[in-house]
Amino acid sequence: MFLTVNTNDQRSIYQQIADGIKELIARGELAEGTPLPPVRQLAADLGVNLNTIAIAYRELQKEGLITVKHGSGSVVASRTSAEREQGELLRPLRTALTELVLAGFSSGKILDIVAHELGTVTKGSNK
Amino acid sequence: MSINELVIFNYVVLWGGARIRGCIRRWRQPLRRGPEWFFNVHVQPGFYSGEGKKILHSYWIRMFLPFAVEVPAAVAIFVSGQYLNLAWLILGIAVLVHVNHLFSVDYAERQARRFAAPEDEQPVSSMVLSLQPRRLRDYSNRTVERFVIFASIAAIGWLARFYFRTPAPNFRLIFGGPMVLLYYQLGFLIIKMGIVSWRTPVPQAQAEEHLRAREEARKFYLKVCDWNRVMIAGALAFCPFILSAPTALQTRLITYDFIALIGVTAIMTVWGEVGRNKVLKSSLRARPMRMPDFLHADNSSWPLCYQPATPMLVIRGARGYSLNLANRLALLGTAYLAGLITLFAILRAIH
Repeated sequence: MFLTVNTNDQRSIYQQIADGIKELIARGELAEGTPLPPVRQLAADLGVNLNTIAIAYRELQKEGLITVKHGSGSVVASRTSAEREQGELLRPLRTALTELVLAGFSSGKILDIVAHELGTVTKGSNK
Repeated sequence: MSINELVIFNYVVLWGGARIRGCIRRWRQPLRRGPEWFFNVHVQPGFYSGEGKKILHSYWIRMFLPFAVEVPAAVAIFVSGQYLNLAWLILGIAVLVHVNHLFSVDYAERQARRFAAPEDEQPVSSMVLSLQPRRLRDYSNRTVERFVIFASIAAIGWLARFYFRTPAPNFRLIFGGPMVLLYYQLGFLIIKMGIVSWRTPVPQAQAEEHLRAREEARKFYLKVCDWNRVMIAGALAFCPFILSAPTALQTRLITYDFIALIGVTAIMTVWGEVGRNKVLKSSLRARPMRMPDFLHADNSSWPLCYQPATPMLVIRGARGYSLNLANRLALLGTAYLAGLITLFAILRAIH
């Protein structure tokens, strides 16, 4: 199970890590209950400050995607506990769609893009 | 064969052999990837006929520096006739050789970077992170752990019983050696923790080869530690036999113990060389790449620094590597060394 971090990516490192773990959970590659490496291990492997990884884990925890148990580390949470309000989940999608419309994409093209991205995100997932 | 003769045999034949083998290996190391490379630096054509020749020669000279300490110390021991001190000399020189090698390689590589092929000098932009947790228990062999625990508890239990049943017991004679052995056992556990947490930065290109090379090296060095721990536990388990034997037989038993130790050391040396070659071959399949530096720790003081928010034991700064004293392993190592000195002081004071 691997995460990729790119220095040319405009997102910050913690965001890349949080997004990477989210994608792996969405694809079903990180199943419920799978232990995640300790903050110290990831930070050392990447050669970054401990806080960088801690912030990524905190974001995942806030979104209910992982549970942090003191002493035994972090594990992927059950999907039911990660349920959030539909309105909250749709907000970033609406923002992205607005950006695409403003960029001049047609509705058909936008639908193609969304279908393609959805296919990428759920690749390997049986849900 | 007396104990002194065995110690001299161990020093001259086994240690001498290991030193020669180590020197040959370190001599060849800069060129092991071929003439286009200097250690892990991809150098420009003509490097070895120009400035590279000087860099290589100064590396070779630095490689022999530990002999400047070892030879006078060995001569002093042989002249004084205190042959048992050869064991301490081996221990000290083994540490010195490795530390000297680490610094020599780092220094030589930094010198060679000025002549590196420009296309390989740029740090990679994509890195891969393994999400597999690395814990000490995942790399522990249950049979080894059971043997070590059982042998240690049984030996200490027997020694405690022997101590309380002896009319005028000598604490140092009964517990001195076993306590030192147990302390070494603890030392190898700390080394194992260090090997398990050994950082694995992997470039996206050839990620599998890099990860495989790192894992093979990690497993090999952990096995070396386990071999040593089994030997220590075996030596500890042998203590009750020596103490319970009649005085006339004790010297002979110690000799047998020593011969067995030398035999196992010889086997381990051969096994270690075979394993090391496998690790080397595996590492040659992964092309070295420069990793991006996210910390930019230009200000980390050399050679020691204190950075609690940085998880690495060793931090690369502008002047080279610095040992991060805020790291848990650095703290454990320091406490361990302090404990070792205290243990020897206590054993010297107690009768």
